[in-house]
Amino acid sequence: MAVIAGIDIGNSTTEVALGRVEDGKVTFLSSALAFTSGIKGTTQNVAGVRSALSQALELAGWNKNDFSKVDLIRINRAAPVIGEVAMETVTETIITESTMIGHNPSTPGGVGLGRGETVLFADLDKCTKDKPYAVIVPGSVDYEKAAKGISDAMQHGINITCAICQNDDGVLITNRLPHPIPIVDEVRAVDRVPLGMQACVEVAPPGRVIELLANPYDIATLFGLSPDETRQVVPVARALVGNRSAVVIRTPLGEVKERRIPAGQLTIMGKNGKREMDIDEGAEKIMALVGASHPIIDIFGEPGTNVGGMMERVRRTMSNLTEIPLGDVHIRDLLAVNTQVPQKVVGGLADEFSLENGVALAVMVQTVDLPMQKLAKAIEEDLHVKVEIGGIEAEMAIKGALTTPGTRQPLAILDMGAGSTDASFLRENGEESLIHLAGAGNMVNTIIASELGIDSMDLAEAIKRTPLCKVESVYHIRLEDGTVRFADKPLSPEVFGRVCLLHSEDELEPLPLDNVSMDKIRTVRRKAKEEVFVVNAIRALERVAPAGNVRLIDFVVLVGGSSMDFEIPTMVTQALAGYSVVAGRANIRGSEGPRNAVATGLVLSYVDEINAVNTGVVHDLGDLSEASK
Amino acid sequence: MQFNEDLLRKVIEEVMAEVAAPAAAAAPAKTIVTEGTVSKIKWTPLGNAKRGTDPREVVVALPPAFGDQFQKTIIDVPHAEVLRQVFAGIEEEGCNYRVIKVYHTADVAFIAHAGAKLSGSGIGIGILSRGTSVIHQRELAPLANLELFPQCPLLDAEVFRQIGKNAAKYAKGENPVPVPTRNDPMARPRYQGFAALLHNKEASYLDRGKAPVEFTVEIA
Repeated sequence: MAVIAGIDIGNSTTEVALGRVEDGKVTFLSSALAFTSGIKGTTQNVAGVRSALSQALELAGWNKNDFSKVDLIRINRAAPVIGEVAMETVTETIITESTMIGHNPSTPGGVGLGRGETVLFADLDKCTKDKPYAVIVPGSVDYEKAAKGISDAMQHGINITCAICQNDDGVLITNRLPHPIPIVDEVRAVDRVPLGMQACVEVAPPGRVIELLANPYDIATLFGLSPDETRQVVPVARALVGNRSAVVIRTPLGEVKERRIPAGQLTIMGKNGKREMDIDEGAEKIMALVGASHPIIDIFGEPGTNVGGMMERVRRTMSNLTEIPLGDVHIRDLLAVNTQVPQKVVGGLADEFSLENGVALAVMVQTVDLPMQKLAKAIEEDLHVKVEIGGIEAEMAIKGALTTPGTRQPLAILDMGAGSTDASFLRENGEESLIHLAGAGNMVNTIIASELGIDSMDLAEAIKRTPLCKVESVYHIRLEDGTVRFADKPLSPEVFGRVCLLHSEDELEPLPLDNVSMDKIRTVRRKAKEEVFVVNAIRALERVAPAGNVRLIDFVVLVGGSSMDFEIPTMVTQALAGYSVVAGRANIRGSEGPRNAVATGLVLSYVDEINAVNTGVVHDLGDLSEASK
Repeated sequence: MQFNEDLLRKVIEEVMAEVAAPAAAAAPAKTIVTEGTVSKIKWTPLGNAKRGTDPREVVVALPPAFGDQFQKTIIDVPHAEVLRQVFAGIEEEGCNYRVIKVYHTADVAFIAHAGAKLSGSGIGIGILSRGTSVIHQRELAPLANLELFPQCPLLDAEVFRQIGKNAAKYAKGENPVPVPTRNDPMARPRYQGFAALLHNKEASYLDRGKAPVEFTVEIA
């Protein structure tokens, strides 16, 4: 009889499976999990191993410091894989000569369209009666004074058709006029509005969007533009689509431009040659190039650009970790996803933001084995238990995954972690293939953070992991799917009216986002997950499947941290159903869920080895490991 | 500094006089007038305040002395201006307002809660004479409010506009970002004694047996 501890040291967690082996059969006693201390594969890991093993011992009914109960520790031989993500914005919008204001204030005044010559509020008395005016109201003018001044001018027969004001006073001023005019307010840099120019102000009724200023031909009609000039206002119209209010000012040379920012070159070295392209061509083209260059030998980014920096960073991290010279560390995969990044418009008068195109990139390096021998020795010295290096991580993961009820060989596992997505496939004849791909949980965080304009990665991570709800009253919340839940006790006032994360045990965490609807967050979250995990799941399985055909795989089991997510497994399952593959989240040993696969595999492989030595054949390992025969 | 020693002395004397001779109730009104502040707010009582039915309304609840015996906040923002800004904030968001005076308490949380309970939208704003304010919701417990602005020396006209605006946004079921709370560690040592005196004075005008009264307010 021997007690074996299988310990899997992962990038973020250290997992333990504790099993008793008797007569070639294994009984699992307990499993435990702790955070990995330090970087995977280094002697810093000892503390994490100790704490995870203590927990397992305690759960098995022993003293938590009684490491002598364990006869043998088996750790996995890990393939060192590091992922890294970066964002590149590839377009920017520039307004010259203050041609437009399109910041969408929440409460513009009045409804309709007004057109006139721009004039300062202070100069109203100099206006003549022969033409219409657009009044500019600076923030120093109180709303009552502004309303009175405009009313007086109107009563003197001056045709005031619309107004632009600096304070949030649009509704207040309109309400006090003899007849309402459209007013766009909260224009922060109102002093930069060109004077004496023709301007149009349009405000749509609540719940509607502007129609005229979002249509190039209507702008042409309003300003009497020639066909060539109309061509120039197309970006203006496009920038205003979807707004409730807008201002367009006709200046001699003003325009709105969308500029492509040179983001740098990407050089992919494949087995059959070198390929180059610009990152600003977008994710589809990058991915097509990555596909065409397979198998990839190395990838470089242009020095001096963000991408170049990212590639060097990941190389350096790996080099420091493995003590392999920098020049011998190679990037093996890259995943690019198109995103939209809210960016401040250059030259805007009201801090306008425009959704610019961006590309999120994830890369992955992989080298030879980490110095596990050193770690094994360190653990041995610390715990005084014999440590042995078991099989390769992927093999162990498959062995563990096969304990999921309802699976059999040939089986593929998809390990979706934080830094990389790994797939391995075990054929009927025991042959294995294995692939590591760039892009996983961290990339989803990056996309969520950039699309929602969040600075904190912790917040992005929380949004990724947690479903949303909107607190509609003190006593009820509306969930993502539209259902309502009532609370027995009044909810906390901090969450009143807000979009919140619905944590377990009904704990609500209000999101510090301004005017972002629950639907928007949900759409961003789901899109990011689909573009990273679904794309990578199929990409990975194509690489490991026989003849590159995913249909030839019968069973796919999802393991790893990201398969604990509340929607990623169902997304992958749904996508793979199209290939008539049975795919789903693993349930290791029928009880552990997607956790503990490698640790379990390490214990099972020990039994296999013992049995092979003893009798030359593999024995029945009992119920739990029956499938792995 | 916004207030000078003379004013402080005057207030202290006033309060001391009131504490010493509570029976002389008519005196304070006179002293206010001698200060030279002419009321810019015209109050017209409309009888006991009833619960509103308009889902767009925000109730502004005030203590009895607001805009009457008191004319400005602790940092000399005139009460007429406080109300004007709060009303403007509410109006800009497309909501309506109703004003009530609450006679039974000088605790801003309970004043605001009393307003919220009478509000058609369930949202109320309570403002003390010295400026301390609360945005409240009728279903919350009195001491668990939506937004609290405890440091009255930091509340200027702009903040009152924001308070009105946010209260209206709550009434509309929107998701406003709380008004940024300022913090001045010197506010406490500098104003605490003064605030305590103002509170005593505020409390002296209460009438515990009287129900809240609705007013129309004209700001001249």
